[in-house]
Formats: sequence, structure tokens, C-alpha cells
Amino acid sequence: MKKTIFLAAILLSVLVTNFLAQETPPAPAAPKAVSVPAAQEKKLANGLTVAVIEKRAVPLVTIQLLVKYGASAEDANKAGLADITASMLTKGTTTRTATQIAEAVEFLGGTISSGAGWNGSNVAITVTSDKVDQAMAILSDVILHPKFDQKELDLLKTQSLDGLTYNLKQPSALANYVASKYSFGEHPAGGTPASIASITKSDVESFYENGFLADFSIIIFTGEVTAAAAAATAEKYLGGMKKYVRTDAPSTRAEPVGLPFISGDKPSFAQRLLVVDLPKSGQASVGYYKSNPGVGRKDELFYPASVLNSVLGGGYSSRLNLEIRIKRGLSYGAGSSFAWRYNAMNFSTRAQTKNESAAQVAELVLGELKKLADSTVAADELVPRKSVLTGNFGRNLETTAGLANALADLYTFSVPRTELNSYVDNVNGVSDKQIKDFASRAFFGGDIIIVGDYSVFKDDLAKRFPNMKVDVIKAGELDLSNDNLRK
Amino acid sequence: MRKILILVMVAAFAAAAHAQVKVAPLNIKERTLANGLKVVSVQDNSSPTVAIHVWYNVGGKNDPQGKSGFAHMFEHLMFKSTKNMPNEKMDRLTEDVGGYNNASTWDDFTNYYEVVPSNYLETLLWAEAERMANLNVDDANFASERDVVKEEYRQSVLAQPYGQFNEYIGSLTYTRHPYKRGVIGDLDQLNAASSADARAFHSLFYRPDNAYLIVVGDFEQKQFDAWTDKYLGKVAKPSSTMPRVTEVEPAKTKEARFEKTSPNVPFPAVAITYLGPRSDSVDLPALRVADKILSGGESSRLYQSLVYKQQIAQEASFNIDNKVDGGVLYFEAIASEGKTAPQLEKSLLGELKLIQDKGVTATELAKAKNQLIADAVRGRENNDGKAIVIERAIAYQHDPMAVNSDIENLQKVTAADVLRVMKKYFTDNNRTVIYYSNAGGAK
Repeated sequence: MKKTIFLAAILLSVLVTNFLAQETPPAPAAPKAVSVPAAQEKKLANGLTVAVIEKRAVPLVTIQLLVKYGASAEDANKAGLADITASMLTKGTTTRTATQIAEAVEFLGGTISSGAGWNGSNVAITVTSDKVDQAMAILSDVILHPKFDQKELDLLKTQSLDGLTYNLKQPSALANYVASKYSFGEHPAGGTPASIASITKSDVESFYENGFLADFSIIIFTGEVTAAAAAATAEKYLGGMKKYVRTDAPSTRAEPVGLPFISGDKPSFAQRLLVVDLPKSGQASVGYYKSNPGVGRKDELFYPASVLNSVLGGGYSSRLNLEIRIKRGLSYGAGSSFAWRYNAMNFSTRAQTKNESAAQVAELVLGELKKLADSTVAADELVPRKSVLTGNFGRNLETTAGLANALADLYTFSVPRTELNSYVDNVNGVSDKQIKDFASRAFFGGDIIIVGDYSVFKDDLAKRFPNMKVDVIKAGELDLSNDNLRK
Repeated sequence: MRKILILVMVAAFAAAAHAQVKVAPLNIKERTLANGLKVVSVQDNSSPTVAIHVWYNVGGKNDPQGKSGFAHMFEHLMFKSTKNMPNEKMDRLTEDVGGYNNASTWDDFTNYYEVVPSNYLETLLWAEAERMANLNVDDANFASERDVVKEEYRQSVLAQPYGQFNEYIGSLTYTRHPYKRGVIGDLDQLNAASSADARAFHSLFYRPDNAYLIVVGDFEQKQFDAWTDKYLGKVAKPSSTMPRVTEVEPAKTKEARFEKTSPNVPFPAVAITYLGPRSDSVDLPALRVADKILSGGESSRLYQSLVYKQQIAQEASFNIDNKVDGGVLYFEAIASEGKTAPQLEKSLLGELKLIQDKGVTATELAKAKNQLIADAVRGRENNDGKAIVIERAIAYQHDPMAVNSDIENLQKVTAADVLRVMKKYFTDNNRTVIYYSNAGGAK
């Protein structure tokens, strides 16, 4: 019934539009070229790379130290160690207490942030351009002389555990937490209650000793600063950063080996259906999760994957949002993304919907994946979706922090810095055939994960997915330390 | 006399400039069209993009009686069809060409905005005029967007552990003013609204004499002015009078206390709220300085006391919820594992008493100003950031030019000013205390 009304409304609006339209929008003027500033690079004697993008419009400078050593280097039973180590840097040095560090940075009008992702760790600060020297004095102190005080570590662990408890009450955050292990075969980078509790001062010290080395690191300056001034200040403050050329090759630096694409009989899209039961949850989170080991950020498939994602779930007018929100009002927003690794890409879709419509949304998501694999994307859809990517890219580079992050991303995955300047061409060069080819090989055999009030959608789920076994875990019984995900 | 004053000011300014980089003033051009539309523009040709904001003087406080959440739901309909545009045409003109668009509804206003490559400026001015003058509202769009808004409500209020807590801050602090209802409103009341209400709302409030056009970025002034006249200047000014909110929130006479619960709340939380000044009050700069001293970063008083030293809270903050007819000033904290709401309340009130008794130090004052100035520089880093600060000045100070005196006003704040505002608003009788905790949900 609802569908009929909807179709009638579309027909009506087409008729009305054709009949009454008298005006068309004025056509755009000729486009102007967007210039992306080039990165300048210099290596210091200790192996530390200094990268600079000068941007003079605003008196700001972002300084970011990137270390190519992150959560992938920690043991699963110490999940969260990389992030805790990075966070501990600002919690005291041999000459400054945590409070003194915060006091000094905030007196400069800045904020200092530190943390770890899967393939890297970073410490960053943004200050007005007259404060670069003072900011570097503090930044280098936290990088070179962290104290790893036991009391500070205890507090940080308590805060991390509280943060985890908080996150695990939210359907989407809980779904991503479970998917990290269940679908991606990783461990949650934010840690589990058990792993965080087990982290000791010596764990933190050895993670720091192994990772925070000049030859694994890049110090990035973006904003109102010259390359010469940046190199001089880097030399002055970080010229003494320890160099250590490793003989073993850390797993984060393994080269991509190519996608083990499926050939022959394809299995169905969703292989498994997992429900995490969160009674009285205000909404259900519905997602499809699929890891593709072997294809990393550096792989040439990065661009077809990015354009595909823009069509499927990147931005307001992408297919998932169109089908789930715009046409059916089932969610405030639906989308998808790839989380890139050095040697993997983790794909996921996301939508929160009322518990009653969880199974319907799961069905819609699978339908859209299948459509991408079955038919090519027409030019009138493909061209705009590429513009979404290139437009976002340009806007992200408008701020000094955005520029620094873009550069850090390239360094993390050892992608040539010139890709900053060739990104737009690379996106525009992706063909419809590449997308279909990619979709038909990369999306099979993933998982549907629903987090919500199972009692509400249980029957509808069984009806819509009659051939799939539903694995149900109560939220309170989750434990990612164990392979069956249960306590 | 006049000359001496100027000299003193120059000296003060020079001192400030020595301590801090200067926030460059925005070169604002302002004019009013014959139909009452006010146009504010800042030409900046440094990158080929442009930010376009249309600001309407209508918000959640103007919801029709018994239809809480209507102004926000209406905002969603502005992306549907018009006489000359099909549904979602705004996305075709923005997202599809590498730009973006969005809108937000606040208690006091609603804004619609786009950032696009500058060669699309004329197209977007046409489109904004189109939805100001010729919006269509049909039943199908109305029904489907109402469902979207319900999901928005579930996502932001029901599925967030502290979503309902945030709603209580407004609904329990105000007793009479429509601010009490909150912008997101009430699902049952939205069910009572119809497409006819939406058409009436559009003709009542979406009109040139109730709006500002703010454009920042890459254009030529003469060309921009001509386009504005051609497209937005043509929108007719209706003769009807707009209803305005006249309700006055009465001063509080004694402390009010509430205990509320929701499912899946991981830790107890507390809010201590006070009715604050109107948004154009001269007390705002001193309150903003106090805000930084109390909760601007990890060196701030609340973090140091509740989170770091006592370790009873995982989060503790002071907030200014600025509103035209009088905002809310509030403390808020979420307990650490095993800690309680009464412990949080006691500590927050202890910090309040400390600042009321002893004031703030010169170092704290200087640090707060440095933070506020750096925030201002970061906030104006791109065209959209500049458009946003102009828009807020229009909304809250009723003058776009106020963006250029804001920094100076902050610089003038003294320790005595901070002490005075902390004593003026934070009285026992003006206080509302809200405890929030878990009831049901996952074990």
C-alpha cells in the first residue's frame, strides 16, 4: 500500500513539474581550477622526515608527528596498548607534569591531541603561527621524554574503561566493536575491558621504545610556515630523536599482495547473520561487514573502491541513503565506508533504524550490493559521484589540520606524496567497468550484524532471511577476548 | 579628551597584538533589498569556492501550539520540490558538482547553507530564491520526511545514552518560555501535523523581510549584487504580520530538583542549570571567559578537580546555551564507575563557590583570552567558517558587524567582570538540579 502511494506521488510530481516548469536554473559559469599545494620534504640526519605544506591565508600552523606504528603492532590480548601509549605521552614528561603540559599548551591557545589508529600513532598541535617555537618545545618534550607515571596510567586506564562502557551502550559503536573481530579478524583498537585492565607500565614503555623512533616517523608542518623554518625547528627540537634501524620487518610494513578475488561459483553476499541483543535500545544498528585482506591503501584498487563507495554510500545522494532514507524514511542516514589498512580494506555499511524495520534495512543493503555487482553505473550517476569525492577532498585541504591529516594518511601507507596532486585525476580516471568488476569480486561472503532489541525484529528477520542461521549474543554476555565472543 | 582616549586604545591594542596574532577583521558589505531581504557579503578570491547561507528568523520557539518539533521538520521539506525544481534538486546543484548543502534548526533561527565551486554561485542564488518563493509541500513528501525526523529523534535522543538527559536541561529549566519544548520536539505532536500546516508555516515565516543572505568567497561584488537583485530581489514581500514569541520566562524564586531515568544509561549524570542573560547582553564576553576558565581543556578547573584530582567524573563541563530571549548556563558531569550524582553535585557547587569567593587569577584570565582568540582564528579558516560567525552575530547580537568587535570585547574582560557575572546569575534560587540514571535495558 505504501509503495503504491509512493509511486503515484512520483508520477504526480513528474507530471506537475513538466506541466508548470517555466524556469530552469541559470547554467554555471566556466569552472576554475583548484590548486593543491605541493608537499616539501627533507630528511634529518637521524632519519626523521620533515614534511611541509605552506599555506599563508590564515596565521595558523598545525604540527603533527606521525609514527608508522599503531594498533596492528600490539598483541590482541593487549588491545588498546597503542592508543594508551600515545595518550600517555601528554600525561607527563621527566620535567613537566600532565597538568603543566595542559597548562602550557592551553596558554598558547592550542590543544594537544595524541592517539593511535591501526597503522600509525600521532601527536598533534595547532597554534597561531607566532607560537610555533613554543609549541615545538612542548611537543618535542612529550615525544622524547615521556615519564609513563604509574598514577597517570591508572587514571587513563580507568577513563578508557569508562569510555568503553559508554560506547558499548550505543548500537553503532557496539556493532563496530564486534565487527572488528567477528568480520575483520582484527582486535578492537580501542581495547576490550580485559585487555585494557591488563596493560602495565612496562607494556607501555616497550611499545614506545619499539615504535617512537626517528626513522619510523614524519613530522608534518602545515600552514603559515616556510619549509626552511620548519626544518630548522625540527632539527632543533627533534634532531636528537632516537634512530634505530630495525632488522625485523614489522607487520605494518608488509607490502600489499593483491586481492584474492573470488572466481567460479560465488557464495551469497551474506554468509553469516549476527544479532547483538540490546534490550530497550532506542534504535537498531544494521550493517554489512566484509574484510578483504591483501588489498591495501597503496593498491591501485584504492581509486575504484573509493568511487564505488561514493556511489553506494558516500554522501547524501548515495544509493544507500536514497533507498533507506530519502525514499522510505527508514533512517536519519545510511552510508558505507572502507577502512584502509596497509594490507587490507575493511568494508562496512551503516544505518540506524527503529527496531521494527531492522530486517527490512538489512534486506535493502544486500539488494544494493547485488545491484553494483550485477550492472554498471551509468555516466549520469558516475560523474556526480566522482565530484562528491573530489569536492570533499578539496574542502578537507582548506584547513591546516585537514592538510596535515591528508599528508599523514599518505605517509602512513607509504603512498607517494604527489598523490595529493594527482588525486582528482585518479578519481576521474575510474571506469564503470572497474567498479562493476570490483563489486562482483569484493563483496561476497560478508556478515550482517544487527545490534538492537531482538525481541522486536526477531520474527521479521526469520521471515526475510529464512535460509540463514541467526546467531544471537546478549550485549551483556559479549567478550571479545574469546573466539566465540562470549564470556 | 577624545584624542587621549584614542591613544590609550591604540596602546592597548598594540599590547594585545604583541601577545597574540591579530584576528583580521572581515570586510563585510551589507545592504537591504526593497523587499526587506538583508544581504551580507565578504569577497575573498583566494580559492574558487563560495559559501552561501540563508538565515531565517524562525526556529523551534516558533513551533505552532501543540506541534512541538514542527519548525525542524519543516526545514526538511525545504529540500523537496518547488515550482521549478523537483525533489532533491538542491543536491543536484551542490553535491553533484563537488559541493555540499545542509540546514539546521535552532531554538531561535533556521539556516540553510551550501558550499560550492564559485562558478555555481548564480545557480544557487536562483535556487535559494526559488525555495523562498515557490516551495511545494505535498502529502507524500510530508509523510516520508516525518518518518525521517522520527528516526532522527530516535538516533539523537533515544539511542544515545545521554540523549534524553540533554533534552531535560531545556525542558526542566524553563517553565513557560517555548524554549521548554526543545527543537527536536515530540513524536506524538509531529503525528498531529499536516502538509497544510507546512504550507501555512512557509507563507508566514519564509519571506525576504525575515531573512538574511550571507555569502563569503569567490565573486565580484558588482556581479554578485546584480544577481542578488535579479533572483532574490524578485521574491515578493507578504503583507501579513509575523507572530512573535512574547512569552517571558519568569525569574526563579527557589531551587528546583528532578530525578530522571532512561534505559541503557551507563553512569549517573548531573546537570546544574541557571537561567542566563539574553544573547545580546554585555555579560556574554565575561561568561565566555568564565567558560574557558571552568572547562576549556585539561588545565581547566573542572577537569583538574573532578576528573583529575578527585576522579569522580569522566567528564565535567560548564556550558553556555546561548538564546535570544535568555539562555541557560549549566554545569554538567558524568560520573566515573562507582561514583554518584550527589558527589558530582557537591563538587560542582564547590567549584562554583570557589570562583564566587576568590575570583580568577591573572594567568587564568590571560589563558582564557588566548584560547578564545585562537578559537576565533581557527573558526574563520575557510569561507564557511566566516559565514557561520557572521550568521551567529546576526542571530545573537542582531548585527553582522559584531563579528569584528567580538575579540576586542573579550580582550576588555577583567577579573572583576568574571566575578561579577558569576555572582549575578549563579544564585541558589536560580538553580535547577537534574539527576539522571539508568532504569532497565541490557544487563
